[in-house]
Amino acid sequence: MRNFEFFEPTTVEEASSLLAQYNGKARLLAGGTDLIIGMKARTEMPEYVISLENIPGLDGITYDEGSGLRVGAMTKMRALETDAIIRDRYTALAEGAAEVGSIQIRHLATLGGNIGHASPAADAAAALLVLDAQVQIGSADGQRTVPIDALFTGPGTTVLEPGEIITAFEFPPRPANSGSQYLKQKIREVMDLAFVGVASAVTLNDGAVENTRIGLAAVAPTPIRATEAEGIINRYHPVTKEILEQAAEAASAQSRPISDLRCSAEYRRQIVGVLTRRTVQTAINRAQS
Amino acid sequence: MSEYSVVGKSVPRVDALDKVTGAAQYGADVHRPGMLYGKIVRSKHPHAYIRGIDTSEAEKLPGVRAIVTQADVKTGRSVFATDKVLYVGEPIAAVAATDPDIAEEAAELVKIDYEELPVVQDVLEAIKPSTPRLHNDDTKDGPARRVIKARLKKLSDDESQDHSAEIEELTAKFESLEDEVYYNISAETHTEAGDVEKGFAESDIVVEDTYVVPRVHQTYMEPHVSIAEADSSGKVTVWASTQGPFAIRSGVAGTLGIPLTQINVIPTTMGGGFGGRFGVALTHVPAVLLSQKTGRPVRVQMTREEEFVDGRPAPGCVIKLKTGATNDGRILARQALAFWDSGSVSGASIGSTIRVRGVYKIPNLKVDAYGVYTNKSGTTAYRAPGTPQVAYAGESQLDEIARKIGMDGVEFRLKNMREEGDQIPAGAKEPKVGYKETLKAVADAAGWWNREKGPNQGWGVAIGDWTNGCGPGGIYISVHEDGSVRIFHGSIDITGTDTAIAQIVAEVLTVPYEQVTITRGDTDSAPYATGSGGSVVTFTMGNTAKLAAEDTCQRILALAAERLNTSADNLELKDGKVSVLVQDPPRSISLGELAAYSLSTTGGPIVGKGSFARKPSTPALAAQIAKVEVDPETGNVRVLKMVSSQDVGFAINPMAVEGQIEGGTVQGYAWAMMEEMQYDEKGNVNPGFVDYRVPTSADLPTVQSVIVEVPAPNGPFGAKGVGEPPITPTLATMANAVVDAIGVRITELPIKPEKVIDALKQNGK
Amino acid sequence: MNKHPVSLTVNGDQYDLLIEPRKTLLATLRDTIGLTGSKEGCSTGDCGACTVIIDGKAITSCLMLAVSANGKEITTIEGLSSNGHLHPLQQGFIEKGGYQCGFCTPGFIMASKAYLDEIPNPTEAELRHALGGNICRCTGYTKIIEAVMSAAEAMRNA
Repeated sequence: MRNFEFFEPTTVEEASSLLAQYNGKARLLAGGTDLIIGMKARTEMPEYVISLENIPGLDGITYDEGSGLRVGAMTKMRALETDAIIRDRYTALAEGAAEVGSIQIRHLATLGGNIGHASPAADAAAALLVLDAQVQIGSADGQRTVPIDALFTGPGTTVLEPGEIITAFEFPPRPANSGSQYLKQKIREVMDLAFVGVASAVTLNDGAVENTRIGLAAVAPTPIRATEAEGIINRYHPVTKEILEQAAEAASAQSRPISDLRCSAEYRRQIVGVLTRRTVQTAINRAQS
Repeated sequence: MSEYSVVGKSVPRVDALDKVTGAAQYGADVHRPGMLYGKIVRSKHPHAYIRGIDTSEAEKLPGVRAIVTQADVKTGRSVFATDKVLYVGEPIAAVAATDPDIAEEAAELVKIDYEELPVVQDVLEAIKPSTPRLHNDDTKDGPARRVIKARLKKLSDDESQDHSAEIEELTAKFESLEDEVYYNISAETHTEAGDVEKGFAESDIVVEDTYVVPRVHQTYMEPHVSIAEADSSGKVTVWASTQGPFAIRSGVAGTLGIPLTQINVIPTTMGGGFGGRFGVALTHVPAVLLSQKTGRPVRVQMTREEEFVDGRPAPGCVIKLKTGATNDGRILARQALAFWDSGSVSGASIGSTIRVRGVYKIPNLKVDAYGVYTNKSGTTAYRAPGTPQVAYAGESQLDEIARKIGMDGVEFRLKNMREEGDQIPAGAKEPKVGYKETLKAVADAAGWWNREKGPNQGWGVAIGDWTNGCGPGGIYISVHEDGSVRIFHGSIDITGTDTAIAQIVAEVLTVPYEQVTITRGDTDSAPYATGSGGSVVTFTMGNTAKLAAEDTCQRILALAAERLNTSADNLELKDGKVSVLVQDPPRSISLGELAAYSLSTTGGPIVGKGSFARKPSTPALAAQIAKVEVDPETGNVRVLKMVSSQDVGFAINPMAVEGQIEGGTVQGYAWAMMEEMQYDEKGNVNPGFVDYRVPTSADLPTVQSVIVEVPAPNGPFGAKGVGEPPITPTLATMANAVVDAIGVRITELPIKPEKVIDALKQNGK
Repeated sequence: MNKHPVSLTVNGDQYDLLIEPRKTLLATLRDTIGLTGSKEGCSTGDCGACTVIIDGKAITSCLMLAVSANGKEITTIEGLSSNGHLHPLQQGFIEKGGYQCGFCTPGFIMASKAYLDEIPNPTEAELRHALGGNICRCTGYTKIIEAVMSAAEAMRNA
């Protein structure tokens, strides 16, 4: 690993100033499970590393029936996966977090890091898309909020400006009659990257499915919503096997996967359909129970 | 109940405490005062001329102490690439620095000027005339041309009559078979028994398929490492994590021109080997060169990525296989044409192609095998080298035939299995073996005979055979005043062999196992011991240990006879003491008392020794049954049940033997289902654990192991080597189970989910 | 580059060190402090051989910078047995044959300890999933799972 200067700021403003000052030569260190691997492989060679570890208030999960869920950017994946409220109301997020690496990795990896790294295959990203996450972004100049759909601009890139730092994620409250699921196509049960990841979330209103959200990972340059499929599910009542199949096909059609050493684009497209059908059905079942 | 008191028991291993407390010292745990850290400069191109090597920038980096290239190899033996590289990762130079990060930085600063060449990675492409060629003198004739050539030679040698017409015709035919001139051939082997053409003609059913097996890495958990220390007198010490310290000694000595007396290899505890940890080139030679140049100890440790690009993995292969049988299930003929991907150098495993004959009475057999050069690192042994690949082809094809003639897979195999005295195709007569017992045992344990399956579920059965190796070894035993027994030897514990040796010695000397300790020497102090590979150790060192213990017994009895004033044949060694057989009143003396007494005799301490070279070993069979469930929408395959039986001769430590069976089975499962080193024109594209998938505990259920004991006449207490056989059937076991679940055969491993989906589509499902 | 003062409590002993920021916790434990029980099998967090417990949680020490561990309590395999008494997990691995070459064993034991401290009574399936971050190439996992399950029982009954 190439050597670097190491900073441990104690405020977001301080971190932001450093990041802006060394723009292009500095990287933020959250959990380190992407950055340190990159530095060892010399695909990342920052001259300055700014740790977010010592900034108070970046870590933690709070929930309020009125305002919803707030997850600090430095919250560990393991904390998300084991949190009772998240497991109950934001299930896809707990399941997405649980798909990241191993327990040891999830004790290090953070939600902010996973999202900020902007991998198209990020397991938590699909869940954030379907749970309507708002991304809180801080800098020396203040705060702004970006909806998760508008965060990613390409593989490894986001709308963050120089000096901006993801500080938290906010999620609207989810009623008891809502449900969600994240499923991932993989070869190994644990420790595999997503060949395809699909999250779905629904709310039931008088038995009708509303507010369907379907998020896809690893099938486009960024995590994306399958809006066509969402519309199909919302439009029809009841959601029959045929409707699910239509939605699955729409999601496949909306995906833009590539072929790589893991599998072909054609296979990914097919799996998008399968997992869309399965996650929507499970989300509905969970909303009903 | 066993007639034995220590062997045949699952005692805890001799190294138990060290292994569970972190005390065991592996290669990278060795730290020497003043030690430097080495890093190897590697080729970034799979095939290129080297036009220049510039080390000047690297030398300027503070902390860098030496850089070595081929120019530093005084013997001229090839260590580093000079004018041409043949694969990504090929060593070009090595750097030593005061810190591992500095060494890494310096290695990056060595500038290599490349002129890139076309690349060939696929064996079937590599044998074509138009492909890039890696070496000269690389063309060979294919099977048909070989037959014609042999006939032509016979005709032209025969001067008794005129064959000119036939010669002319055959010559024309020979020349027309242009696509049978194979290029990039590194090695070839050919075997024939009976007449396959006749056999196929007599068959009711003939099945022909091409099977593709990927290159996989042994993936021992400890990457290669060595620490070398050359002192001012020229004496070189190498701490090596290796399967064969004596092979490392001779290898390093030969490569660098160091006299054997001037090199001592100190073996460390080894973090897995599986056949891949014998080589001298990967870290040992560079470490010695750097130490010689700097006069300081140097550690060279490979990263996992370096393991993938410059380890010596198991070769992949393409096997064209044809088998003929009768409708009532008799195999009549089998013909194989195999192309082994040996990488940039002549490689391993090609000789195992003959094992495609399995343990069956195949009267007509023909095997042609070729090693093929490609732009990859060389290959070496991996657990029963070559056999998992050919058993996959052979056992898959048998499964196809059984399906086609409507015969049960186990019955079909039992019907064709050889028994004692049967002719081994292209071999000798079969000794007493437990083939049928082993297959029946797994079928019974798995519930094969009344198996049930739900939708998308399938059962698979397959077998694999192997014979443990044999080699020279020596052991010393001494008995001390407290009655403790000390064993001293130079072989490397390969996951339980030291324990087996200790058990054997305890058994023969009738002492409690806990009283026996074992010390591993280095190559300066210990007698020669054969390398720990080829399932050799328990057989060879076990026999050696038994001889050494028996020798110790002789000394004990002689000493006791003197002490108890009787003759040795009136004495019995039992329960750790020597008793007089016919005497009133009874008298006895403990081993401790005897050892104390020995110090005051003219004879001196109780020391026994054993030396062993070789005896014929007996083949062993592994048989497996798997039950799987396939998700027909994603193609994922889940193992529901895995049962693995093996004829081990005699299990000296059943728990350790089960561990070998379970571990080998899971390695085979991984080869079948997920592992694959992938290459393109840029080299290996998955050099890490993210895309080279090794299974975790979450991927499998409990593996049920079944020990079958048909004693080997020459094994210690009847034991056979057990390490290698369990990996041999699993590739086919899994493939056969998947066929049973989805109704279509996948002939290219690994059976990744996408291939399952493609197969289902092909089958119109 | 500036070295940073780092204070670590490892197995109850305090170490005050000056460390380059690029050194990982694993490298520091092994090369600087001399505790070589934690192993480097991949250095990318994929094999789990470097697992140590920090403030009660198992982590892959190859993916943590030593500077990030400043002020933390670390337990390694060397700190697991107390007063010469093996931890039930160590006992379990011996009795059930849960190791072969032993290179992965410290990581498995530390990952298992942290997990059982959190979930004392897992099912076999849960345990197999929880230990998915540790690769063993020798055992095929059957005896490792047996070892941890038997240790879990012993720990519950202790």
